[in-house]
Amino acid sequence: MSAPLDPTLHTAALAALEAAINRALALTPQGGAELAPFDGQVFALHCSAPAADIYLHPGARGIRLSGVHEGPVTTSIRGQAGDFTALATSGDPAATLINGNLELEGDSAPLIELQKVLSSLDIDWEAPLVSTLGDVAGHQLAQVLRGAFSWGRQAADSLARQLEEFIHEEARLSPPRLEVEDFYGDVRELGHRVDRLQLRVERLRRQLDKLRG
Amino acid sequence: MSDEDSTHFGYRSVDKDAKAGLVAEVFHSVAARYDLMNDLMSGGVHRLWKRFTIELSAVRPGQAVLDIAGGTGDLAAQFAGLVGPEGRVVLADINASMLQVGRDKLLDTGRIANIEFVQADAQYLPFPNDSFDCITIAFGLRNVTDKALALRSMLRVLKPGGRLLVLEFSKPRNELLSRLYDAYSFNVIPRIGRVVAGDSDSYQYLAESIRMHPDQDTLKEMMEDAGFVECSYHDMTGGIVALHKGIKA
Repeated sequence: MSAPLDPTLHTAALAALEAAINRALALTPQGGAELAPFDGQVFALHCSAPAADIYLHPGARGIRLSGVHEGPVTTSIRGQAGDFTALATSGDPAATLINGNLELEGDSAPLIELQKVLSSLDIDWEAPLVSTLGDVAGHQLAQVLRGAFSWGRQAADSLARQLEEFIHEEARLSPPRLEVEDFYGDVRELGHRVDRLQLRVERLRRQLDKLRG
Repeated sequence: MSDEDSTHFGYRSVDKDAKAGLVAEVFHSVAARYDLMNDLMSGGVHRLWKRFTIELSAVRPGQAVLDIAGGTGDLAAQFAGLVGPEGRVVLADINASMLQVGRDKLLDTGRIANIEFVQADAQYLPFPNDSFDCITIAFGLRNVTDKALALRSMLRVLKPGGRLLVLEFSKPRNELLSRLYDAYSFNVIPRIGRVVAGDSDSYQYLAESIRMHPDQDTLKEMMEDAGFVECSYHDMTGGIVALHKGIKA
Protein backbone atom coordinates (compact mmCIF):
# COMPACT_ATOMS: atom_id res chain seq x y z
CA MET A 1 0.00 0.00 0.00
CA SER A 2 1.45 3.35 -0.95
CA ALA A 3 0.33 6.92 -0.29
CA PRO A 4 -0.86 8.68 -3.48
CA LEU A 5 1.64 11.52 -3.00
CA ASP A 6 5.16 10.66 -1.87
CA PRO A 7 5.11 11.57 1.84
CA THR A 8 8.58 13.08 1.47
CA LEU A 9 7.22 15.91 -0.72
CA HIS A 10 4.19 16.53 1.46
CA THR A 11 6.31 16.48 4.60
CA ALA A 12 8.91 18.81 3.07
CA ALA A 13 6.25 21.37 2.14
CA LEU A 14 4.70 21.23 5.60
CA ALA A 15 8.08 21.46 7.33
CA ALA A 16 8.99 24.57 5.30
CA LEU A 17 5.63 26.22 5.94
CA GLU A 18 5.74 25.36 9.64
CA ALA A 19 9.25 26.81 9.98
CA ALA A 20 8.16 30.04 8.26
CA ILE A 21 5.02 30.39 10.40
CA ASN A 22 6.88 29.81 13.65
CA ARG A 23 9.65 32.21 12.66
CA ALA A 24 6.98 34.84 11.99
CA LEU A 25 5.24 34.07 15.30
CA ALA A 26 8.55 34.42 17.14
CA LEU A 27 8.83 37.99 15.81
CA THR A 28 5.51 39.10 17.36
CA PRO A 29 5.64 41.02 20.67
CA GLN A 30 4.40 38.02 22.69
CA GLY A 31 6.41 35.52 20.67
CA GLY A 32 3.24 33.57 19.88
CA ALA A 33 2.50 32.85 23.55
CA GLU A 34 -1.15 33.76 22.91
CA LEU A 35 -1.55 30.36 21.26
CA ALA A 36 -0.94 28.50 24.54
CA PRO A 37 -4.69 28.17 25.33
CA PHE A 38 -5.12 26.17 22.11
CA ASP A 39 -2.79 23.42 23.32
CA GLY A 40 -4.33 20.05 22.51
CA GLN A 41 -6.75 21.37 19.89
CA VAL A 42 -6.43 20.19 16.30
CA PHE A 43 -7.73 22.00 13.21
CA ALA A 44 -7.98 20.03 9.97
CA LEU A 45 -7.90 21.43 6.45
CA HIS A 46 -8.99 18.76 3.95
CA CYS A 47 -8.31 19.77 0.38
CA SER A 48 -9.92 17.51 -2.23
CA ALA A 49 -8.32 18.97 -5.37
CA PRO A 50 -5.38 18.67 -5.22
CA ALA A 51 -5.74 16.00 -2.53
CA ALA A 52 -3.95 17.12 0.61
CA ASP A 53 -4.66 17.14 4.32
CA ILE A 54 -3.11 19.62 6.71
CA TYR A 55 -3.59 19.46 10.46
CA LEU A 56 -2.80 22.53 12.57
CA HIS A 57 -1.69 21.90 16.15
CA PRO A 58 -1.40 25.31 17.84
CA GLY A 59 0.18 25.52 21.27
CA ALA A 60 2.58 27.34 23.55
CA ARG A 61 5.50 26.45 21.27
CA GLY A 62 3.87 27.83 18.10
CA ILE A 63 2.01 25.93 15.43
CA ARG A 64 2.88 22.39 14.42
CA LEU A 65 1.70 21.18 11.01
CA SER A 66 1.20 17.56 10.10
CA GLY A 67 -0.14 15.65 7.12
CA VAL A 68 -1.44 12.76 9.22
CA HIS A 69 -3.44 12.85 12.43
CA GLU A 70 -5.18 10.01 14.21
CA GLY A 71 -7.46 11.21 16.96
CA PRO A 72 -10.17 13.75 17.57
CA VAL A 73 -10.24 16.97 15.54
CA THR A 74 -11.65 20.18 17.01
CA THR A 75 -12.75 21.75 13.72
CA SER A 76 -12.35 20.62 10.15
CA ILE A 77 -12.83 22.48 6.88
CA ARG A 78 -13.27 20.57 3.63
CA GLY A 79 -13.06 21.94 0.10
CA GLN A 80 -10.95 22.42 -3.01
CA ALA A 81 -7.77 24.50 -3.16
CA GLY A 82 -9.68 27.24 -5.02
CA ASP A 83 -12.24 27.45 -2.21
CA PHE A 84 -9.51 27.86 0.43
CA THR A 85 -7.74 30.50 -1.67
CA ALA A 86 -11.04 32.33 -2.26
CA LEU A 87 -11.67 32.38 1.48
CA ALA A 88 -8.13 33.47 2.30
CA THR A 89 -8.08 36.31 -0.21
CA SER A 90 -11.73 37.40 -0.05
CA GLY A 91 -12.56 40.92 1.02
CA ASP A 92 -15.76 39.53 2.51
CA PRO A 93 -14.77 36.16 4.01
CA ALA A 94 -18.06 35.59 5.84
CA ALA A 95 -19.98 35.85 2.57
CA THR A 96 -17.43 33.55 0.91
CA LEU A 97 -17.84 31.03 3.71
CA ILE A 98 -21.65 31.20 3.48
CA ASN A 99 -21.90 31.20 -0.30
CA GLY A 100 -18.79 29.13 -1.12
CA ASN A 101 -18.31 25.38 -1.32
CA LEU A 102 -16.37 24.92 1.91
CA GLU A 103 -17.81 22.48 4.44
CA LEU A 104 -17.27 23.17 8.11
CA GLU A 105 -17.46 20.29 10.61
CA GLY A 106 -17.09 20.26 14.37
CA ASP A 107 -16.97 23.17 16.75
CA SER A 108 -16.56 26.44 14.84
CA ALA A 109 -16.02 28.60 17.95
CA PRO A 110 -12.38 27.53 18.58
CA LEU A 111 -11.59 28.14 14.89
CA ILE A 112 -12.99 31.66 15.05
CA GLU A 113 -11.14 32.20 18.35
CA LEU A 114 -7.89 31.00 16.74
CA GLN A 115 -8.44 33.34 13.79
CA LYS A 116 -9.06 36.23 16.18
CA VAL A 117 -5.84 35.56 18.07
CA LEU A 118 -3.80 35.14 14.90
CA SER A 119 -5.22 38.29 13.32
CA SER A 120 -4.58 40.28 16.49
CA LEU A 121 -0.92 39.23 16.42
CA ASP A 122 -0.35 41.37 13.29
CA ILE A 123 2.22 38.94 11.96
CA ASP A 124 4.81 40.09 9.45
CA TRP A 125 4.82 37.11 7.08
CA GLU A 126 7.06 38.65 4.47
CA ALA A 127 10.51 38.33 6.03
CA PRO A 128 10.47 34.69 7.16
CA LEU A 129 8.69 33.47 4.01
CA VAL A 130 11.00 35.30 1.65
CA SER A 131 14.03 33.96 3.48
CA THR A 132 12.60 30.42 3.28
CA LEU A 133 11.05 30.36 -0.18
CA GLY A 134 12.68 33.22 -2.09
CA ASP A 135 11.36 36.62 -3.15
CA VAL A 136 8.55 35.73 -5.55
CA ALA A 137 7.03 32.64 -3.92
CA GLY A 138 7.57 34.11 -0.44
CA HIS A 139 5.79 37.36 -1.30
CA GLN A 140 2.85 35.58 -2.92
CA LEU A 141 2.42 33.18 -0.01
CA ALA A 142 2.73 36.08 2.42
CA GLN A 143 -0.17 37.82 0.68
CA VAL A 144 -2.33 34.72 0.95
CA LEU A 145 -1.42 34.28 4.62
CA ARG A 146 -2.06 37.94 5.38
CA GLY A 147 -5.54 37.47 3.93
CA ALA A 148 -6.10 34.19 5.74
CA PHE A 149 -4.98 35.39 9.14
CA SER A 150 -6.88 38.66 9.00
CA TRP A 151 -9.96 36.63 8.16
CA GLY A 152 -11.19 36.64 11.75
CA ARG A 153 -11.22 40.42 11.97
CA GLN A 154 -12.83 40.84 8.54
CA ALA A 155 -15.31 38.05 9.20
CA ALA A 156 -16.46 39.65 12.46
CA ASP A 157 -17.03 43.02 10.76
CA SER A 158 -18.74 41.49 7.79
CA LEU A 159 -20.92 39.18 9.87
CA ALA A 160 -22.04 42.10 12.05
CA ARG A 161 -22.96 44.13 8.96
CA GLN A 162 -24.86 41.28 7.33
CA LEU A 163 -26.68 40.45 10.56
CA GLU A 164 -27.70 44.07 10.97
CA GLU A 165 -29.13 44.20 7.43
CA PHE A 166 -30.99 40.95 7.95
CA ILE A 167 -32.56 42.05 11.24
CA HIS A 168 -33.56 45.48 9.93
CA GLU A 169 -34.48 45.01 6.29
CA GLU A 170 -35.46 41.38 5.81
CA ALA A 171 -36.77 39.97 9.07
CA ARG A 172 -38.02 43.37 10.27
CA LEU A 173 -37.19 42.26 13.79
CA SER A 174 -35.98 45.71 14.69
CA PRO A 175 -36.45 49.15 13.02
CA PRO A 176 -33.49 50.70 11.19
CA ARG A 177 -31.28 53.13 13.09
CA LEU A 178 -32.72 56.27 11.35
CA GLU A 179 -36.28 55.24 12.19
CA VAL A 180 -35.25 54.65 15.79
CA GLU A 181 -33.51 58.04 15.92
CA ASP A 182 -36.64 59.76 14.46
CA PHE A 183 -38.78 57.96 16.99
CA TYR A 184 -36.49 58.95 19.86
CA GLY A 185 -36.53 62.57 18.52
CA ASP A 186 -40.34 62.56 18.56
CA VAL A 187 -40.36 61.12 22.08
CA ARG A 188 -37.91 63.83 23.21
CA GLU A 189 -40.06 66.54 21.58
CA LEU A 190 -43.18 65.11 23.20
CA GLY A 191 -41.38 65.10 26.52
CA HIS A 192 -40.47 68.77 26.12
CA ARG A 193 -44.06 69.68 25.22
CA VAL A 194 -45.35 67.78 28.22
CA ASP A 195 -42.85 69.67 30.40
CA ARG A 196 -43.96 72.99 28.93
CA LEU A 197 -47.65 72.05 29.37
CA GLN A 198 -46.99 71.10 32.94
CA LEU A 199 -45.34 74.50 33.59
CA ARG A 200 -48.33 76.28 32.03
CA VAL A 201 -50.73 74.27 34.16
CA GLU A 202 -48.69 75.16 37.23
CA ARG A 203 -48.74 78.86 36.27
CA LEU A 204 -52.51 78.79 35.66
CA ARG A 205 -53.02 77.04 39.01
CA ARG A 206 -50.99 79.77 40.79
CA GLN A 207 -53.02 82.53 39.01
CA LEU A 208 -56.31 80.84 40.05
CA ASP A 209 -55.05 80.58 43.66
CA LYS A 210 -54.22 84.35 43.57
CA LEU A 211 -57.71 85.26 42.23
CA ARG A 212 -59.41 83.17 44.97
CA GLY A 213 -57.10 84.52 47.65
CA MET B 1 29.52 -22.92 8.28
CA SER B 2 25.89 -24.00 7.72
CA ASP B 3 23.14 -21.59 6.53
CA GLU B 4 21.55 -21.69 9.97
CA ASP B 5 24.75 -20.53 11.62
CA SER B 6 25.50 -17.77 9.13
CA THR B 7 24.06 -14.41 8.29
CA HIS B 8 25.07 -11.54 6.06
CA PHE B 9 27.22 -8.62 7.00
CA GLY B 10 26.85 -6.43 3.94
CA TYR B 11 27.67 -8.75 1.03
CA ARG B 12 29.79 -11.02 3.22
CA SER B 13 28.45 -14.14 4.87
CA VAL B 14 29.56 -14.29 8.50
CA ASP B 15 28.91 -16.38 11.56
CA LYS B 16 25.75 -15.27 13.36
CA ASP B 17 27.66 -14.79 16.59
CA ALA B 18 30.13 -12.51 14.85
CA LYS B 19 27.68 -10.07 13.22
CA ALA B 20 26.81 -8.11 16.37
CA GLY B 21 30.50 -7.44 17.01
CA LEU B 22 31.13 -6.38 13.42
CA VAL B 23 28.10 -4.02 13.43
CA ALA B 24 29.28 -2.64 16.76
CA GLU B 25 32.67 -1.79 15.23
CA VAL B 26 30.93 0.09 12.40
CA PHE B 27 28.92 2.24 14.76
CA HIS B 28 31.73 2.80 17.25
CA SER B 29 33.64 4.17 14.27
CA VAL B 30 30.95 6.49 12.93
CA ALA B 31 29.16 7.60 16.14
CA ALA B 32 30.93 10.94 16.51
CA ARG B 33 30.10 12.06 12.96
CA TYR B 34 26.80 10.16 12.59
CA ASP B 35 24.45 13.17 12.39
CA LEU B 36 26.71 15.07 10.02
CA MET B 37 27.08 12.04 7.76
CA ASN B 38 23.31 11.49 7.68
CA ASP B 39 22.78 15.09 6.60
CA LEU B 40 25.49 14.88 3.96
CA MET B 41 24.46 11.51 2.55
CA SER B 42 20.75 12.23 2.37
CA GLY B 43 20.90 15.97 1.71
CA GLY B 44 18.93 16.45 4.93
CA VAL B 45 16.04 14.33 3.67
CA HIS B 46 16.44 11.87 6.58
CA ARG B 47 14.86 14.57 8.73
CA LEU B 48 11.72 14.45 6.57
CA TRP B 49 11.58 10.65 6.77
CA LYS B 50 11.80 10.89 10.56
CA ARG B 51 9.25 13.69 10.69
CA PHE B 52 6.74 11.54 8.80
CA THR B 53 7.48 8.71 11.23
CA ILE B 54 6.60 11.02 14.13
CA GLU B 55 3.32 11.96 12.39
CA LEU B 56 2.36 8.35 11.84
CA SER B 57 3.19 7.43 15.44
CA ALA B 58 0.07 9.24 16.71
CA VAL B 59 1.84 9.55 20.06
CA ARG B 60 -0.17 11.51 22.62
CA PRO B 61 0.64 13.13 25.98
CA GLY B 62 1.15 10.63 28.78
CA GLN B 63 2.14 7.69 26.57
CA ALA B 64 5.22 5.47 26.76
CA VAL B 65 7.48 5.27 23.69
CA LEU B 66 10.47 3.03 22.99
CA ASP B 67 12.91 4.18 20.31
CA ILE B 68 15.10 1.18 19.46
CA ALA B 69 18.45 1.77 17.77
CA GLY B 70 17.69 5.36 18.68
CA GLY B 71 21.27 6.39 18.05
CA THR B 72 21.74 10.09 18.37
CA GLY B 73 18.22 10.70 19.64
CA ASP B 74 16.49 12.49 16.73
CA LEU B 75 13.19 10.68 17.26
CA ALA B 76 13.45 10.49 21.04
CA ALA B 77 13.81 14.28 21.29
CA GLN B 78 10.57 14.79 19.35
CA PHE B 79 8.72 12.08 21.28
CA ALA B 80 9.79 13.66 24.58
CA GLY B 81 7.93 16.82 23.59
CA LEU B 82 4.84 14.93 22.44
CA VAL B 83 4.41 12.68 25.50
CA GLY B 84 4.96 15.61 27.87
CA PRO B 85 5.92 15.43 31.54
CA GLU B 86 3.43 12.63 32.26
CA GLY B 87 4.84 10.45 29.49
CA ARG B 88 7.99 8.38 29.13
CA VAL B 89 10.48 7.90 26.33
CA VAL B 90 13.13 5.18 26.36
CA LEU B 91 16.06 5.64 24.00
CA ALA B 92 17.61 2.23 23.47
CA ASP B 93 20.67 1.30 21.44
CA ILE B 94 22.91 -1.75 21.48
CA ASN B 95 25.93 0.40 20.78
CA ALA B 96 27.46 2.25 23.74
CA SER B 97 29.14 4.90 21.56
CA MET B 98 25.91 5.79 19.77
CA LEU B 99 24.01 5.88 23.06
CA GLN B 100 26.67 8.13 24.57
CA VAL B 101 26.41 10.59 21.67
CA GLY B 102 22.60 10.53 21.85
CA ARG B 103 22.56 11.01 25.61
CA ASP B 104 25.03 13.91 25.46
CA LYS B 105 23.03 15.58 22.69
CA LEU B 106 19.71 15.31 24.53
CA LEU B 107 21.21 16.40 27.85
CA ASP B 108 22.77 19.41 26.13
CA THR B 109 19.35 20.44 24.83
CA GLY B 110 17.79 20.09 28.28
CA ARG B 111 15.69 17.03 27.45
CA ILE B 112 16.15 14.94 30.55
CA ALA B 113 12.92 14.86 32.54
CA ASN B 114 11.08 12.13 30.67
CA ILE B 115 13.81 10.30 28.76
CA GLU B 116 15.62 7.15 29.88
CA PHE B 117 18.68 5.70 28.19
CA VAL B 118 19.08 1.95 27.96
CA GLN B 119 21.76 -0.12 26.25
CA ALA B 120 19.75 -3.00 24.86
CA ASP B 121 19.73 -5.63 22.15
CA ALA B 122 16.57 -5.41 19.99
CA GLN B 123 16.35 -9.22 19.97
CA TYR B 124 16.13 -9.44 23.75
CA LEU B 125 14.45 -6.25 24.95
CA PRO B 126 14.85 -5.90 28.73
CA PHE B 127 11.34 -4.64 29.45
CA PRO B 128 8.20 -6.25 30.90
CA ASN B 129 5.42 -7.40 28.58
CA ASP B 130 2.91 -4.75 27.41
CA SER B 131 5.08 -1.76 28.39
CA PHE B 132 4.90 0.65 25.45
CA ASP B 133 2.22 2.43 23.41
CA CYS B 134 4.57 2.91 20.48
CA ILE B 135 7.90 1.45 19.37
CA THR B 136 10.04 2.91 16.62
CA ILE B 137 13.19 1.56 15.01
CA ALA B 138 14.70 3.89 12.44
CA PHE B 139 17.50 2.61 10.22
CA GLY B 140 18.30 -0.08 12.76
CA LEU B 141 16.49 -3.28 11.81
CA ARG B 142 18.81 -4.17 8.93
CA ASN B 143 21.73 -4.31 11.38
CA VAL B 144 19.99 -6.80 13.66
CA THR B 145 21.25 -10.37 13.34
CA ASP B 146 17.88 -12.13 13.72
CA LYS B 147 15.16 -9.75 12.53
CA ALA B 148 12.30 -12.17 13.22
CA LEU B 149 13.45 -12.60 16.81
CA ALA B 150 13.68 -8.82 17.21
CA LEU B 151 10.18 -8.29 15.80
CA ARG B 152 8.76 -10.85 18.23
CA SER B 153 10.58 -9.15 21.09
CA MET B 154 9.06 -5.79 20.07
CA LEU B 155 5.60 -7.35 19.90
CA ARG B 156 6.02 -8.69 23.41
CA VAL B 157 6.84 -5.33 25.01
CA LEU B 158 4.14 -3.42 23.08
CA LYS B 159 0.82 -2.85 24.80
CA PRO B 160 -2.22 -4.35 23.04
CA GLY B 161 -3.32 -1.74 20.50
CA GLY B 162 0.19 -0.28 20.44
CA ARG B 163 2.03 0.23 17.19
CA LEU B 164 5.44 -0.58 15.78
CA LEU B 165 6.96 1.72 13.17
CA VAL B 166 9.95 0.48 11.18
CA LEU B 167 11.73 3.16 9.17
CA GLU B 168 14.30 1.52 6.95
CA PHE B 169 16.01 1.70 3.59
CA SER B 170 14.12 -0.33 1.02
CA LYS B 171 13.84 -0.94 -2.72
CA PRO B 172 13.27 1.95 -5.17
CA ARG B 173 10.25 1.35 -7.40
CA ASN B 174 11.68 3.01 -10.48
CA GLU B 175 14.45 1.26 -12.42
CA LEU B 176 16.20 4.49 -13.37
CA LEU B 177 16.05 5.79 -9.81
CA SER B 178 17.39 2.43 -8.64
CA ARG B 179 20.44 2.68 -10.93
CA LEU B 180 21.17 6.27 -9.91
CA TYR B 181 20.79 5.29 -6.27
CA ASP B 182 23.19 2.34 -6.70
CA ALA B 183 25.78 4.54 -8.38
CA TYR B 184 25.47 7.12 -5.60
CA SER B 185 25.56 4.52 -2.81
CA PHE B 186 28.64 2.63 -4.00
CA ASN B 187 30.66 5.46 -5.51
CA VAL B 188 29.83 8.63 -3.60
CA ILE B 189 28.82 7.59 -0.07
CA PRO B 190 32.01 5.63 0.81
CA ARG B 191 34.06 8.63 -0.38
CA ILE B 192 32.06 11.03 1.77
CA GLY B 193 32.61 8.57 4.64
CA ARG B 194 36.37 8.55 4.05
CA VAL B 195 36.62 12.35 3.94
CA VAL B 196 34.20 13.25 6.74
CA ALA B 197 34.23 10.30 9.13
CA GLY B 198 37.66 8.94 8.16
CA ASP B 199 36.10 5.55 7.46
CA SER B 200 35.01 4.36 4.01
CA ASP B 201 34.58 0.68 4.98
CA SER B 202 31.69 1.45 7.34
CA TYR B 203 29.87 3.30 4.60
CA GLN B 204 30.60 0.53 2.12
CA TYR B 205 28.89 -1.75 4.66
CA LEU B 206 25.95 0.72 4.82
CA ALA B 207 25.43 0.51 1.05
CA GLU B 208 25.74 -3.29 1.02
CA SER B 209 23.51 -3.85 4.05
CA ILE B 210 20.75 -1.80 2.40
CA ARG B 211 20.80 -4.12 -0.64
CA MET B 212 20.62 -7.19 1.58
CA HIS B 213 17.67 -5.87 3.59
CA PRO B 214 14.21 -7.33 2.80
CA ASP B 215 12.11 -5.34 0.34
CA GLN B 216 8.83 -3.67 1.31
CA ASP B 217 6.52 -6.65 0.88
CA THR B 218 8.93 -9.13 2.46
CA LEU B 219 9.32 -6.99 5.58
CA LYS B 220 5.55 -6.61 5.78
CA GLU B 221 5.21 -10.41 5.68
CA MET B 222 7.88 -10.73 8.38
CA MET B 223 5.90 -8.38 10.61
CA GLU B 224 2.73 -10.37 10.02
CA ASP B 225 4.60 -13.61 10.75
CA ALA B 226 5.82 -12.10 14.03
CA GLY B 227 2.18 -11.53 15.03
CA PHE B 228 1.51 -7.91 14.09
CA VAL B 229 -1.85 -7.09 12.52
CA GLU B 230 -3.04 -4.33 10.17
CA CYS B 231 0.44 -4.17 8.68
CA SER B 232 1.02 -1.57 5.98
CA TYR B 233 3.80 0.57 4.60
CA HIS B 234 4.44 3.91 2.93
CA ASP B 235 7.10 4.23 0.25
CA MET B 236 9.10 7.41 0.68
CA THR B 237 11.36 9.13 -1.86
CA GLY B 238 10.40 6.63 -4.54
CA GLY B 239 10.89 3.61 -2.28
CA ILE B 240 14.48 4.40 -1.25
CA VAL B 241 13.02 4.33 2.24
CA ALA B 242 9.84 2.66 3.51
CA LEU B 243 7.94 3.20 6.72
CA HIS B 244 6.20 0.02 7.92
CA LYS B 245 3.47 0.05 10.52
CA GLY B 246 2.07 -2.86 12.50
CA ILE B 247 -0.34 -3.08 15.41
CA LYS B 248 -0.33 -5.47 18.36
CA ALA B 249 -3.76 -7.09 18.54
